[in-house]
Amino acid sequence: MRLGIAWRLALVLALVGALAAGFTGFYVYQASSALVVAAAQNRLLTSTHVVKRRITHSRESISRDLQVLSEHPLTQHMLQRPDAMALDGLHTLFKLRMQVNPGYMQIRLMAAQNFGLEVVRVDRDALGPITVQSDDLQEKAHFSYVSQALKLSHGETYISQIVINHERGAHLVENKPTVVMSMPVHASTGRAIGVVAISIDVQGMFDLMAQDLPPDFQLYLANGVGDILIHPDSRLTFGFDRGQRQLLQDHMPPTAPMVRGELDERVFELPQGPHTPEALLAAFVRQEVRVSSDERHLLLGLAQPVAVVLAEVERLRLAIVNIVLALSVACLVVAVVLARALSKPINGVGRAAQMFAQGQLITELPTERNDEIGDLARSFSRMQTQIVQQLEELELSRRELSDQARHDGLTGLANRRLFAERLAAALAHRRRHGGEVALLFVDLDRFKGINDTQGHEAGDAVLKAVASRLRANTREVDTPARLGGDEFVVLLSGELDTALLSALASKLAQAVSAPVPYGEHLLQVGCSIGIGRTPVDGDTADQLLAAADQAMYAVKSMGRNGVRFATPTPDAPSQG
Amino acid sequence: MATGLVWPWGAVDAAKPTTLRVLAWPGYAEPEVIKAFETEHRVVVELTTVDSDRMLWALISANWGADFDVLAINTAELQRCVEAHLVRPVQPSWVPHIQRQLPQFQQVQNIPGLVFGGSTMAVPFTYSDMGLIYSKAHFPAPPTATQALWNTRWQGRVLAYDGGVHNFSLAALSMGLPSPFALGQRDWPAAVDRLIALRRNVGSFYTSPEESLVLFKRHQAVLMLANYGSQQLHLLQQAGLDVGYTIPDEGALAWLDCWAITRAAAQPMLAAAWINHTLGPMASDLLVSRQGLFNTTSPSAHPLGQRLWLRSPEDSDRRQRMWVRILSGDRASKVLAA
Repeated sequence: MRLGIAWRLALVLALVGALAAGFTGFYVYQASSALVVAAAQNRLLTSTHVVKRRITHSRESISRDLQVLSEHPLTQHMLQRPDAMALDGLHTLFKLRMQVNPGYMQIRLMAAQNFGLEVVRVDRDALGPITVQSDDLQEKAHFSYVSQALKLSHGETYISQIVINHERGAHLVENKPTVVMSMPVHASTGRAIGVVAISIDVQGMFDLMAQDLPPDFQLYLANGVGDILIHPDSRLTFGFDRGQRQLLQDHMPPTAPMVRGELDERVFELPQGPHTPEALLAAFVRQEVRVSSDERHLLLGLAQPVAVVLAEVERLRLAIVNIVLALSVACLVVAVVLARALSKPINGVGRAAQMFAQGQLITELPTERNDEIGDLARSFSRMQTQIVQQLEELELSRRELSDQARHDGLTGLANRRLFAERLAAALAHRRRHGGEVALLFVDLDRFKGINDTQGHEAGDAVLKAVASRLRANTREVDTPARLGGDEFVVLLSGELDTALLSALASKLAQAVSAPVPYGEHLLQVGCSIGIGRTPVDGDTADQLLAAADQAMYAVKSMGRNGVRFATPTPDAPSQG
Repeated sequence: MATGLVWPWGAVDAAKPTTLRVLAWPGYAEPEVIKAFETEHRVVVELTTVDSDRMLWALISANWGADFDVLAINTAELQRCVEAHLVRPVQPSWVPHIQRQLPQFQQVQNIPGLVFGGSTMAVPFTYSDMGLIYSKAHFPAPPTATQALWNTRWQGRVLAYDGGVHNFSLAALSMGLPSPFALGQRDWPAAVDRLIALRRNVGSFYTSPEESLVLFKRHQAVLMLANYGSQQLHLLQQAGLDVGYTIPDEGALAWLDCWAITRAAAQPMLAAAWINHTLGPMASDLLVSRQGLFNTTSPSAHPLGQRLWLRSPEDSDRRQRMWVRILSGDRASKVLAA
């Protein structure tokens, strides 16, 4: 298919538009998806910090509870002068605390003496808080939460390692991940006389925190050396308790610098692996345990499937693709409209030129337009006018030239060339339609004398007069011609008979012979007329000319001024 | 970032190579030892470490030994495994490096608890005695009796091991019983009292050597029962502690850890190759230089005291049950009822 320049322009415009939209879209996508991923990373990190703060708040809240319990008058009373009333009061107090704090699994008061023997103990079992008494009370001085807490100042908190609790009789937290927080009880003398301790169900506490997180968030916790404590894959948690240490830095190498204490927070992508069913975006923060503890640091992390983040990017990508497509279509439409607006007037001018070439005059040019196309149309219109004018002049001069080529300049009669054409045409007509053709060869007599005596102008005047008389005495359809010098011929065609020819020839001879006024003189020439005719003298131009010529010479030889048929016929005289 | 978000989705699992499942104690299979074996035999070594006999027994007995191919076990526990048909005999010809061992370890018939019905059930690998680690600042002369652990002068500054079977042996030893591995029916209440007294005197009980180091510092300990023997001494000295090691006059429990192949091992010859590998120069030297343990191929540099090679006790389960109670802080009546 041939593409017009306007359409090519439109195509280029559409392509440029689509490319511009495409490239813009691509770079917007790149920038935006980076923003989306960065936003997701930020969100994750922020959430991790929020959880970290919540842990700190929980810890502070537990510390406040410990402080309330450690400073309670009944606690002092129970450690120094134990009695049933103080015991009952503390049991009630401990139970109340446990009822409002579902994460509390045990609240205990232990004496500094008697090897850390529990004095008051409330455990949580499946039905709720229960008191543990007399023979079931245990000595705990060999546990850090007692021995270390006793070394602390008033109001200071100790936090144990987060371990699987192997203490027998611990009810709900027996063999469960547990952390114990404790605080010394000081007598008025300032001597540490006991310890209050709260055991917390770690898994339960973190499950509670995870409830507030978006459902696709996963929570991770590791201790300061990297032992995994909370992980979606429970096979990895508390590995050290089963003899198979599972370290966070082994499963998530990017956390290694955090375990070493070189980094406080980190966001990284974690590829799919045996313990991560899908690729994750993870954010970890290092939490310093700011109270006396065996755990100096904790590593807290949140992870979100990368697919969730990618879905956002995908939505963005779709939106951008739609915009790019819409822009491209718009470009195409604009280009088509533009192409049509351009091509219509150009095509109009083109059609006009074509019509003009076919000889028709053009009127429908957009000459009224005030733009380049209007200029073009106006120029074209002017050019048309000029060309028409020049063509007309050309035709005129052509006709003149053609006329001059076929007519005798002096007499205006047909010249030899036109005569030959007409003769050929007449013969052809005869062959096809019948009829006859005749030639009357007219040769002036005594013309040379006039030329010689009166001058060429006089000769010319005679020739003009002869021509005029030949014309006047022949029919419109007949062709009188001057063959040269003083030789004339008259071509006749149609229904011709000898009598008609003979009469015409006589009439012509008579007309030619009439005197020609020239200045003061009357000039007179005679003429010899030879007649050749079809079919008797032949049916070709040469035969007819030769016959008429011979007949004319025959007249001359017999003394001029006469008419003679090349072939006399019975009905016609051979001379007149 | 758009291109940065290309993930190695779905890494394809290549055909899984053969896995050798090793159950051992900390320091027995150093990473470079494992690496060398994996490279040489084109296998993957899956290492599980234990830090108590209780845990080792729990792991090995859980699935009739089918979870492991080869394990490091002391002679006392080995007897249990043999009786439970968990391990299979080892032909000395499978382990050419036995030739490198000291004569006393090649003569397995002289070591109690290695040969059963004429078949050698395990290959000695490393050993240590459970002497006492003491602070040189507090003991101008090394303590001469196990009894020192009960000295209330050091209450809260003594560390002991969290292991029921050994601790009852330790109690028996300190009580002067004829055999620490065979408590008579009337010995139990005294032994329990003894261990409750130990509990009241210690600052803490530890399980791993690393934990013992942390606790030693925290409690400013002066005396510790070294369940891991010279390995622990090595660790504490490396940490800059001024400590010594001694074997009391009544002797020290000593363990001899041997490699045994489980009856359920899929490739016993590969397991034997592992044993041979660990008796080679690399693993043997690392045992001494890095872990402070003794290997069986070169003479030990430590003074010899009386070593009481661990034997299978009269009732491990009972010892363990009671120990858990003791550790939890229960009084004697509760413990004896366990």
